[in-house]
Amino acid sequence: MRLRMRHWGVLTIGLILSMAISGIAYGALGDRLLSKGSKGPEVTELQQKLAQLGYAIGTADGSFGTKTESAIQRFQKARGLTVDGLAGTQTINELKRLSGQSTNSTGKAVGTKSVETNLLARCVNAEARGEPYVGQVAVAAVILNRISDPAFPKTIADIVYQPQAFSSVADGQINLPPSADALRAAQEAVSGSDPSKGAVFFFNPAKTKNKYIWSRPQIIKIGNHIFTK
Amino acid sequence: MHRKLWIGALTAALLISLGWGFNEYRLAGDYRLVAENNNHRALIDFSSHLDQLETDMAKGNVASNPTQKILYLSQISSKSDAALKDFAQIPAEQAGLSYIGQFLVQAGEFSRTLTQRIAAGGQLSAQEDKTLNDWHEQLMPINQKVQDLIVRMDTENLVWTDPAPTLRQRLGFGGTKIAEAAADGSEIPAKSVRSGLDQLDASLQKLPPFTYTGEFATRVVPKPLGLPTGTVTQDQAQVIAQEFLGKVGYNNSTPVFSANSQGLLGGYTWNYKEAYLDVSQQGGVVTFYRDQRSIEPRKLSQEDATAKAKAVMISLGWQLVLTSSEDFGSYVQYDFVAEKEGVRIYPDKVRLMIALDNGQLVGFDSVPYYSFHQARNFPPKITMEQAVKKLRPNFQVTEKRLAVIAKSGNQDVYCYEFRGKYQGEEYLLYLDAATGAEEKIQRILKTPRGEFIQ
Repeated sequence: MRLRMRHWGVLTIGLILSMAISGIAYGALGDRLLSKGSKGPEVTELQQKLAQLGYAIGTADGSFGTKTESAIQRFQKARGLTVDGLAGTQTINELKRLSGQSTNSTGKAVGTKSVETNLLARCVNAEARGEPYVGQVAVAAVILNRISDPAFPKTIADIVYQPQAFSSVADGQINLPPSADALRAAQEAVSGSDPSKGAVFFFNPAKTKNKYIWSRPQIIKIGNHIFTK
Repeated sequence: MHRKLWIGALTAALLISLGWGFNEYRLAGDYRLVAENNNHRALIDFSSHLDQLETDMAKGNVASNPTQKILYLSQISSKSDAALKDFAQIPAEQAGLSYIGQFLVQAGEFSRTLTQRIAAGGQLSAQEDKTLNDWHEQLMPINQKVQDLIVRMDTENLVWTDPAPTLRQRLGFGGTKIAEAAADGSEIPAKSVRSGLDQLDASLQKLPPFTYTGEFATRVVPKPLGLPTGTVTQDQAQVIAQEFLGKVGYNNSTPVFSANSQGLLGGYTWNYKEAYLDVSQQGGVVTFYRDQRSIEPRKLSQEDATAKAKAVMISLGWQLVLTSSEDFGSYVQYDFVAEKEGVRIYPDKVRLMIALDNGQLVGFDSVPYYSFHQARNFPPKITMEQAVKKLRPNFQVTEKRLAVIAKSGNQDVYCYEFRGKYQGEEYLLYLDAATGAEEKIQRILKTPRGEFIQ
């Protein structure tokens, strides 16, 4: 009986030790090359950072799968890195730098300031996938133009989720992970680009019979979308 | 024996599917209820914010001392924002321009402008007092009608949006749409909350417009100020596009005509390979260029790109100063502004994008420059020493200069610009160059992609 007790003790200590060692072995994000099939808390951290920057990965489950690989590729493409789908030192450093918080002059962190841009990117992705890049910037610009137009709500979320404003919200496409182009288009529109030249509506003439939207003064056609006042 | 087995199996299947169906039905009911509750909440909130707005407007009208006036005016702007937010959540059949929304935005903007003026020691004119009063008069019936709508919702089982038109109505035998009827002056009781709101919209349209049209009426220039005179034909525009592409590195290109664009800087849009280019009809200048080619892994440093950007500006014939840059990863974006007699003119801006794979220009945007550029004369100003004295004590100035900045309502202000620190935060402060009054405050943050001005 006493012997068996000791067995249990040894087993417990062994278990605790092995867990502690495995924790150390995983180490911090950036210590080793992560690729498809990698597992561990550092993968979770990688996934969280990707998601924060708008590169959706599904659930951060600590296992490097197809979704994580594609998110890494999109990130690499957007940042002008070699696109190989591997999270090596350069990719991880870039990711760490970009997902850092904004700071004031004394270095105090004040948040990431990117929440609304990510929503904008989702909307651009859902509404203008497959459109030329300029057309995607224009769609993002339309949403931002609405903020300063008296007939629309005043925040990005209010505009995107306004009932019947965007079909992609009603059919759930808004929740698809945004492409790297959509993210960049959203950032560019936020920083002031407006290829739509002040438009507050856009529509696909092949798909829309809505009389109201056809009655608006048209400004420009980019790709398959007509942008109107 | 076999028959009994079959009956048993089928009964079990029926029971399971009934159970499943009932469960789904119950779940759908739950979701409907959640949605219904949210809609209800939005409508009731809308009504209560309108009610508070109406009260604040009444109080704002009577308030005579500046602090009370500021209090009520700022409440008007925050209540109208809140009401607008609720209004945007009420179900609709289609998104369109709405007069109720416009009314709320204008009321908010107007009172915000007045708040700032009174806070700076200014006063309201008799006309502005009257406008505030008009607003109050118009809000009262809106408020009542929304409250009526809520009562009718409880007593007449109003739905949120009108049911789809029946076959008979589609064929043209049905009555006219309710909102249209209201515009004619006839009042048919609305069948849904949305059509009730549409009726309100239509009745608002009939009222005389306000003397105040809002800051937004002037948010874009009525006509571009900086475009050269004369117009160009499509053929001439093609040559202009070709020359531009040549300077960017696409020699002997043949840009393909894509479309005409309307509006302020309207003209001709062109495509060449994956590049997209706008040439204005008036003046024949390139206003927008974007190369949508895929950018290869980066080879240039930020410094290389900055040097390249400055060289490109000169080769395109611009003499502007570089003020800021933003890192987009595969390319860097640069803002250049005009400078005259040592005064930075921020509204006259040109933006460039330089790819980090080969240093090629991939983006160009001169819309702000051509919209706002004009011959400017600088009015008399106080001296730099006098301006510095107007700053808050302990504000540590790190940079100072004269500048022209844009103000809401499409106005320019001639200012002293001070960059400096106060209690651990960094700011840009703008003082009116003529009076030394504080015109604008901006906060500077360091983000991973560059400086961010808030």
